Amino acid sequence: MATTVTSPEAEAAPAASAAQSPVRRWGPWGLGILALVAMLVLQSQLYVGQERTVAAIFMFVALAQGWNLIGGFTGYACFGQVVFFGIGGYFTAVAMVHWQVNFWTALVASGIVAALFGAVIGLPLLRLKGHYFAIATLGVAEGMREVVTNLPDLTGGGAGITIPTVGDQAPTAYLGNDGFYLLFLALAALSVLVGGLVSRNKFGFALRAINQDEDAAASMGINTTWAKVAAFSLSGFITGLVGATYAFQQAVIFPERLFSVDITVLMVVMVVIGGSGTVLGPLLGAVVLQFLSEYLRQNFTSAHTFILGVIIIIAVILIPQGAVNYFREARRTGEYSLLANVRRYRL
Amino acid sequence: MTPFLQAALYGLLQGGLLALIAVGFSLVWGVMNVVNLAHGSFVILGAYVGWEMNTKLGWDPFLAMFVSAAVLFALGYLIQRFVINLVINGPIFITLLLTFGLDLLIVQGMNIVFSGNYRSIHTGYASTGLDLGSVRVPVGRLLAFGVAVLLTVALVYLVSRTRVGTSIMATGMDRGAARLMGIRSRHVYALTFGIAAALAAVAGVMVGTVGTFSPAAAAGYTLLSFVIAVLGGLGNMYGALLGGLVIGLVDSLAGLYLPGTWVNALAFLVLVVVLIFRPSGLVGRAYYSARVEV
Repeated sequence: MATTVTSPEAEAAPAASAAQSPVRRWGPWGLGILALVAMLVLQSQLYVGQERTVAAIFMFVALAQGWNLIGGFTGYACFGQVVFFGIGGYFTAVAMVHWQVNFWTALVASGIVAALFGAVIGLPLLRLKGHYFAIATLGVAEGMREVVTNLPDLTGGGAGITIPTVGDQAPTAYLGNDGFYLLFLALAALSVLVGGLVSRNKFGFALRAINQDEDAAASMGINTTWAKVAAFSLSGFITGLVGATYAFQQAVIFPERLFSVDITVLMVVMVVIGGSGTVLGPLLGAVVLQFLSEYLRQNFTSAHTFILGVIIIIAVILIPQGAVNYFREARRTGEYSLLANVRRYRL
Repeated sequence: MTPFLQAALYGLLQGGLLALIAVGFSLVWGVMNVVNLAHGSFVILGAYVGWEMNTKLGWDPFLAMFVSAAVLFALGYLIQRFVINLVINGPIFITLLLTFGLDLLIVQGMNIVFSGNYRSIHTGYASTGLDLGSVRVPVGRLLAFGVAVLLTVALVYLVSRTRVGTSIMATGMDRGAARLMGIRSRHVYALTFGIAAALAAVAGVMVGTVGTFSPAAAAGYTLLSFVIAVLGGLGNMYGALLGGLVIGLVDSLAGLYLPGTWVNALAFLVLVVVLIFRPSGLVGRAYYSARVEV
């Protein structure tokens, strides 16, 4: 990207960037556009049920990419990411029901509100490290769920809130399956684009440096506080947009569902199994895991989470660094053995 | 005054049980740096084993809890020895994910085998009460509280006074040095996880005796263990006891004076504030912070 050329990293290694072939440089963008076109063509071939399933995959692609910014690049294991999802969803619902705002305005506002929330709670929380950060964010998410549950006048409390989707009551008409397919696709594309830009940008290098060694990064002149809060806020923005869209798609939303720990855990599982800190990893992880989950749900109704649990355990033991990182390392070193992976982390 | 006393007493009794749930979780976290997301499912699994002994063989839950503890100890030992030990040197996400996978597997397994219905373990005396002046003490809860406190104290004795316990603590502080001293860390880690699972199982049987349980409740117990372990300081056994009592008391008293479920929001606010200002917990310094990473 143009921004990379002007960054200090590129100046330090001009030979490397000059030697980069056009295929390596522009290939990912070309593939991305091809995939986008393919998904648009695919839409006309799907039944209604399949369209919903694929839209759910897009949703998780966006969520996983959002979590990857803070959890993957920066290495801060956010276990309360769902708080942004819930805030986005509830802000949209409240704005549409109480203030008669149309959906598109509410959508953008939800993203901004979630990002601001991330900045405000990020400042104190991002000083915590490791498990402590994970638990503090989990606490924030659980606490926010309780707050939403206890404001029945505004949010409908535990009984939920209904967004009007038809008639004069509705600020924006329901988008329907086709509309939500396109919207979730757009969000997935946006999140991959953001991930790709961050990954190749100076900002992304700063985040990776923080992940490797925060003190060393600070001593190299990176404003670590700013970088961490910005990454947290950006990941909140994307997650908030997804939550807002999900709320409108569901029309009826409940605190239990919009602040469910399971959604956070799914994001983490997808990123880690795909390969954290990469752009392709969360994409791959979300597609494979959501597809697998849906396939198992349809074919093994009662045992599907059981089988999913077994698959996660095996995947974590055999490819602990995630599929994308595993293949990159294996190609570089010629070491394809999965047992070498096990040997690395076992006691 | 009487409602206050009654609520305080009830909160303390409940808090003892919560402490027993959290103490094993805290031990595993403190010694191995593993956050066991499957801890709540061990509690429920323990309750089911107790329930089976009670309904099929007619055993009293206070007898069945020994069987339940033994079964879960064996299961925990095997899980740590042959599964978690395979990834224990990885980054923190890895063990979190692994135990999340275990949790899915155990909870869904219980759903398939036992169905998702609410159950409870029946005894003739659990629902009777003692009258102490103006307050009433439910016998079942009092017994459960006694078991919880006794076991927590026994665990403290185990880790501070016995050979097995010192090797657990030594491994937690510096695994490399402990191995050089001839401690088999694979075995010690498995023992620690087994003990935690056994304690969870006993707590589960008690939960089943004084209330109801179902596979869906597992996640709630894991979350509670989180809160209590952090409040008490990780790996600090008395801290877990104190944290449990505090949460039980706050929960019960706030339930009396606050409308709705604001009390839960309050509990999480307390958790976040404690973490920000005192990450090593309420009680002293967590010994884990002195640990040398290997």
